[in-house]
Amino acid sequence: MSLSISPARLFDRFVPQGLVLKLCVLAAVGVLIILPLARIAIETLAPDAVSAWVDVTASPLSRNLLWLPLGNTLILGVGVASGCVLIGGFLAWMVVMTDIPFRRTIGLMATLPFMIPSFATALAWGSLFRNGRVGGQVGFLEGLGLSVPDWLAWGMAPTLIVLIAHYYSLAFTVIAAALATINSDLVEAAQMTGAKRSRIVFGIVLPVALPALVAGASLTFAGAVSNFAAPALLGLPVRMQTMATRLYGMIEIGQTARGYVIAILLIVVSAFFLWFGNKVISGRRSYATITGKGGRAKRFELGAARLPLFTLALFICALTTIVPVTILIASSLAPSSSALLSNWTLHYWIGESTANIAQGQAGIFHNPFIGSAAFTSINLGIVVAITGSILGLLIAFTLARYRKGFLSGTINQVSFLPLLVPGIAFGAAYIALFGAPIGPFPALYGTFALLVIAGTAYLVPFAVQTGRAVIQQVSGDLDESARLTGAGFFRRLTAITVPLASRGLAAGALLIFVKIVRDLSLVVLLFTPTTPILAVLAYRYASEGFTQFANAITVVILVISIAATLLANRLQTKSQPWLQN
Amino acid sequence: MKLTSLMISTALATALVAPSAAQDLDAMTPEELLPLAQAEGTVTVYAFTSRIARVETAFEAAYPGIDVIAHDMNSTTQIARIRAENAAGINSVDVVYISDAPVVFSELLASGLIERYVPPRVAGALDDEFTNPLLAQRLSTKVLMYNEAANPDGAPVGNLWALTEPEWRGRVLMVDPLQRGDYLDLMVEFVLRADEMAAAYESHFGTSISLDPGVDNAGVQFITDLFDNDVVLLSSTDDVNTAIGTIDQSNPPVGFTTYSDRRDNEDEGWALQVANEVEPSNGIVFPAVLALAANTQNPAAARLLIDFLMGDDSETGGPGFAPFYVPGDYATRNDIPGHPDAIPLDEFIAWRIDPAATAEIRQEIADLVLMLQ
Repeated sequence: MSLSISPARLFDRFVPQGLVLKLCVLAAVGVLIILPLARIAIETLAPDAVSAWVDVTASPLSRNLLWLPLGNTLILGVGVASGCVLIGGFLAWMVVMTDIPFRRTIGLMATLPFMIPSFATALAWGSLFRNGRVGGQVGFLEGLGLSVPDWLAWGMAPTLIVLIAHYYSLAFTVIAAALATINSDLVEAAQMTGAKRSRIVFGIVLPVALPALVAGASLTFAGAVSNFAAPALLGLPVRMQTMATRLYGMIEIGQTARGYVIAILLIVVSAFFLWFGNKVISGRRSYATITGKGGRAKRFELGAARLPLFTLALFICALTTIVPVTILIASSLAPSSSALLSNWTLHYWIGESTANIAQGQAGIFHNPFIGSAAFTSINLGIVVAITGSILGLLIAFTLARYRKGFLSGTINQVSFLPLLVPGIAFGAAYIALFGAPIGPFPALYGTFALLVIAGTAYLVPFAVQTGRAVIQQVSGDLDESARLTGAGFFRRLTAITVPLASRGLAAGALLIFVKIVRDLSLVVLLFTPTTPILAVLAYRYASEGFTQFANAITVVILVISIAATLLANRLQTKSQPWLQN
Repeated sequence: MKLTSLMISTALATALVAPSAAQDLDAMTPEELLPLAQAEGTVTVYAFTSRIARVETAFEAAYPGIDVIAHDMNSTTQIARIRAENAAGINSVDVVYISDAPVVFSELLASGLIERYVPPRVAGALDDEFTNPLLAQRLSTKVLMYNEAANPDGAPVGNLWALTEPEWRGRVLMVDPLQRGDYLDLMVEFVLRADEMAAAYESHFGTSISLDPGVDNAGVQFITDLFDNDVVLLSSTDDVNTAIGTIDQSNPPVGFTTYSDRRDNEDEGWALQVANEVEPSNGIVFPAVLALAANTQNPAAARLLIDFLMGDDSETGGPGFAPFYVPGDYATRNDIPGHPDAIPLDEFIAWRIDPAATAEIRQEIADLVLMLQ
């Protein structure tokens, strides 16, 4: 009888709370994220590659290889993050908290820009603002007789604007979800006790929304520093380089060691900035405000500002959705890129092969790969959305419940890492790691499984961040009570956390699906003839100068993305609670 | 059990006869290859040009029962992909159609990832330089081009050094040499031809060239001056073509691009024309290479496709060569005369690259370009 203490209780007594869970999660992100990155780090230390470190950091090449690109990258990161939080936050506030008209429409439109590939937005910018610097056809504005200076047509300013236009919807989604969770009781209590509007904003709304603001800023910062398409298209004519375009260029011309060194430095620098951001968030005490009930607070009345603010919101939305999409569609129909609106033809969609158009390329629906590519892309989107969400939930849950400690900090940082790695470097790392057989495991190169694993790892930060903003609000009291009454980890997870956090998870899964379906940089190295992907088809058309075909496929990707959004909205009637009255 | 032993014995037999079988295949005529190729049923090609789509259609019409799977991707991507697939033990490609000869010769061929094959049918019509170390199908170009509509009296540039003068500041275009190997090869050629560049300098400015401190030769000086003169870098030749060629420009730029892109003038509304009276040269001519993947699973069909791509016995090379029988592309076969609308190859002043010499200083020049950017 003296040995009545069961092994399980012994375990509970001597092993710190959550250690097993933390170790499991750490092992998972370790294999998925650390291992491939460690592999590229090791490659730079090979005897014939180690000189790349000197080349990049301390040689006559460093200025162009590292310092100038680094400066540009940081300006982009900080600028885009600020712009996105401002615009995304403004729109989220309007849609969730005020009586602005057409909230539903604005709410939907504000989520769309993220589904438009950033290269499409960049091309659209060119169609409007392009000046004579690169000759050829000038943009719409110069066509009207206005003179567009270089700084507005090329380089930092347009790249900033295009990236903000692309990423602000990320910030919007995260901030709107958080604002929607603000307990109406608190706001009403404040209103009844006569608090001024500004006091409610700064005393209740901002503190609760702060994690989401920081998450939004982090997501958009990371997106901006690793984005390749926009700076490549808009920066190259004035020779503006970022770390991502440098990295891509180095890998493109076979100088992989230097490319990897740049990738590692990009990760280190970005990690520092994000660590700083996370410090702000984790230094605060946690707010547990959702209890699963409570009605919607009275909306703020905008009064006389209602119409001007509505016009502003609509203007932002239209400029970032309708305009680029229109240009995209028009250019999939126009035979000559210099006359977007004339001689429209469906040849690029459904035409048979004719020798005199585009060197005999048939329309995209005659491409033998289009069917299998669409199937693979959608399949990949769904599988990665599921695997990514599960992993993201586990990580978010772990971080929310056990936010203190070295292990949690490590998990937090590691799960953020993929955001800082340009997709093409991540793809290269996965090929380096899984390209050859490892012990008894066969090489994964060319398999659907590798796409799933790489996609899951690459998009973990999205699932974690979007899920976390909501999961942190799930009251720890509920979890504690369940724990005290003997509910196991999985029971608590499925009975309490998942139901209460389902909105955030659905939003996260949707983001993952859309991102993987339209992602190019990650899969461009991973795809093989057996696993064709829509985005790669578009890229190959584009790189051959068949912009119409490329844009047609981009429109297909867009349709799939939008259909996914609408479907998710339908399945999840509560997915946008801020739209309900 | 029976099936297994049959498979094993077949595998063994295949392994044993493989080396001699490959030699037999190399000597076969297309007629002898055809039944074997039809038994294989499929052939996969990586090609650096989208024109492969037309070859695919023509091949499938000529040889029913053999499915061509064509992937077009630029040479750099092909090289990365072939390496990765080899490391993973995947043999998905049979035929490689690629430019970037300096890298292809010094890396892919040297490491045994691709193999030489010269169809016996056309071997007699090819000079040695086009069959060694690999088969060259045609010659392509990266040369100085201008807008014919805006310059009806001919090229606005008569000497490459003019491009370093204020008149052309910010008005010379090319693809970033750090993103496309062909353009890096062009930069390398300026350096390999440093003596000619020095002579051209003297002819243009009337004084002999004085090199900046740290600059070794006239080629490096030219690249340096070109970048100092705000050369505009774009990301694809198509962007360069549009910028130079678009009709109705009052003061169009010039730039380095592909001579044969002139074929799209009508469809795209361009007026691209090559500048062929330029000192010391207008750019480079380089080979488009055809090779077998080392571990091809369809050895007969792969050889048949390469044979087809080399053109038939008609004057213009027939359907297999038709996509490449355009002004600005030059057949390597000496029995296919140049396109009547193009400058004949022996009058075309572009430099022929030397892949081996290029490979030697390519990295050095890439670093130079990197520093200048």
